[in-house]
Amino acid sequence: MLSVIKLRLLKMKQEYPVILFLTLMALGLTFIFGKSMGEYRPSVIVVDQDNTEYSQKVIEKITEENPYKFQYMNYDDAISEVEEYKSIAAIVIEEGFEDSIENKNSPKVGILKIKDDLDSITLKNALESNISRMIGDIRLSSVIVNELDKSINIENKEKTFDSTYKKISEAWKYRKPIKVTKDFIDSSGEGFDQMNHALIGFSIFFSTYTMVFGIGTILEDKQNNTWSRMLVSPVSRGKILGGTFITTYATGALQLIVLIFGGKYLFNVDWGNSTLGILTIGAAFVFAVTCFGLLLSGIVKTHQQLAAMTPVILTSTAMLGGAMWPLEIVNSKIILFLANLTPQKWAIQGMEQIVTYGKGFNVAIIPSLILLLMGSIFLSVGVFVINEK
Amino acid sequence: MTLLKVENLKKSFKDVNAVNDITFQVNKGEIFGLLGPNGAGKSTTISIISTLLNPTKGKVFYRGEDIFKNPKAIQEKMGVVPQEIALYPTLKGYENLKFWGNLYGLKGNNLKKRIDEVADIVGLKDKLKTKVENYSGGMKRRLNIAAALLHEPEILIMDEPTVGIDPQSRNHILDTVLELNKKGMTIIYTSHYMEEVELLCTRISIMDKGQVIALGTKDELVNIIKGHKKIELTFDNIPPNLLDKLKIIEEVEEVDSKDNIIILTMKNGDMAFKDILDKVMGTESSILSIDIKKPSLEAVFLHLTGRALRD
Repeated sequence: MLSVIKLRLLKMKQEYPVILFLTLMALGLTFIFGKSMGEYRPSVIVVDQDNTEYSQKVIEKITEENPYKFQYMNYDDAISEVEEYKSIAAIVIEEGFEDSIENKNSPKVGILKIKDDLDSITLKNALESNISRMIGDIRLSSVIVNELDKSINIENKEKTFDSTYKKISEAWKYRKPIKVTKDFIDSSGEGFDQMNHALIGFSIFFSTYTMVFGIGTILEDKQNNTWSRMLVSPVSRGKILGGTFITTYATGALQLIVLIFGGKYLFNVDWGNSTLGILTIGAAFVFAVTCFGLLLSGIVKTHQQLAAMTPVILTSTAMLGGAMWPLEIVNSKIILFLANLTPQKWAIQGMEQIVTYGKGFNVAIIPSLILLLMGSIFLSVGVFVINEK
Repeated sequence: MTLLKVENLKKSFKDVNAVNDITFQVNKGEIFGLLGPNGAGKSTTISIISTLLNPTKGKVFYRGEDIFKNPKAIQEKMGVVPQEIALYPTLKGYENLKFWGNLYGLKGNNLKKRIDEVADIVGLKDKLKTKVENYSGGMKRRLNIAAALLHEPEILIMDEPTVGIDPQSRNHILDTVLELNKKGMTIIYTSHYMEEVELLCTRISIMDKGQVIALGTKDELVNIIKGHKKIELTFDNIPPNLLDKLKIIEEVEEVDSKDNIIILTMKNGDMAFKDILDKVMGTESSILSIDIKKPSLEAVFLHLTGRALRD
């Protein structure tokens, strides 16, 4: 078996740029996606057709909304900008906005958008709430100033109004009527983090390639006719497969370790309180995927077929398993059921329990056992298929 | 002494009988040839002997032991040169030999020594640092043989080792086979090249359609068609009526002509030269040559199957 391991390592030495590339790709994409998703702020255009004090006030209020990036444009430019999907929507403060408020009518503010999506619905809610509050503040300030004027005869009513309005607005900032707090049950973590999810997802996704193609070298052997030659040597079939399996497993595990510690030291990713738990899940995952690779290598006939099938299978199972996006946002029961059949799901779920929700080693046990079970099934069927061929 | 015995061997793939009830034995120290056209069942037979395939029926004994009872023990004694090049193209010649040597348990200085020796035997000593993908076809074939020699096997099984190579490399391989045999190695050599088998083999089994159709030494096989020797007479122009005149000679079995050549197939060992020459001399055409065809395995195959080896 040692001779097979030495051979595989020798061959792998020739292919190390590919493995290095996949590792760097995982780290690089983690960084890029983690950063960009963390800083995602959709663009919103503001068109002020009223150009009055109140319209300025409402713009000031709206632009305090941090999730959006605001730009100011005229109506025509705003339409083309939205049509070209450069901005999710345009807020149009129509002419007569101030007059409507002063005449106690409903002011008109329009939203131009191509379609209803989560971002534009959130924007509409934020806009309604801000304008309602602002009108409320204005009316409240007006009532206060009028009442004061009746009792103490204010000299400069306009100045007093401004000052009252400002104070009421300020007061909202620090004393909101309701404070919603969020707590994580049984957790010391701070909740879902995009960078963490990206690192786990990409580490899981990219490492699968190394493992599947690593074990797929037996197909190259078949094409080179070296497989048959090995079979007529005194080394048993089990030892040939075992040597290949051990080398692939070790390479996959090493790559995953590099990704885990790369994330930790390069991007300051907090891998939670249980490194042992992460490593246990990682070890079980590498086992399951290497066995899956063995099964695939048994099913296909050539390395070319494996190369064609692998990206399709690994990408789709990674999507189903939650490597690309969190499964928490998926509602489809069918997809969630199918996710259970992918090794990626169990690895990501287990790791996220530790990383995102700060749980301990105990949450690693069930995912690891499931991964070992999956691996054992893949291994048994894979060896059977290879022997039959 | 019998080293290997094949007994009533049969191998079927679905409805096709690749090997159909064949029996032969290989004696220690001989070069045993399996001759036959493509698809005759030679490679299947070799695959079974080398334990790569299980037979559908029948047995193979090595030194009296059934090889399928403990194949790994037998494999140590066998060297197999597969028909296809079975090497790692991206590794150097040396790295390839080191790996195959390792598989047979060779290590350290002993392995280095053996690599040196086999590289010398196949004439690749100065090419071992080159990657196999940069070797010529002939060099790959030679390295393919070298890999099977590393563990000094008692019996070497060679499956069409000269397919698709240049004459120089081919001669080198044939010389190597003879040299190895001279040192005492028993060799099973399969080929569809009649000349190679004739040159190398002590005993020959002619196979066709999965069956052994003739078995013996070259002389024994040729004796099958002893009475069917051929004489070729070449003329500037074939004289009229000569064909009819030749046909009436008692010893002539068949008369055939092609271009300016008359081919006579004789009934038995008697060449009946006098009668033939009498008939020829009585014509006005001048004879350019008389060629007495030496019986070959090709002719034996043709006689037994009605087809040429390369059909």
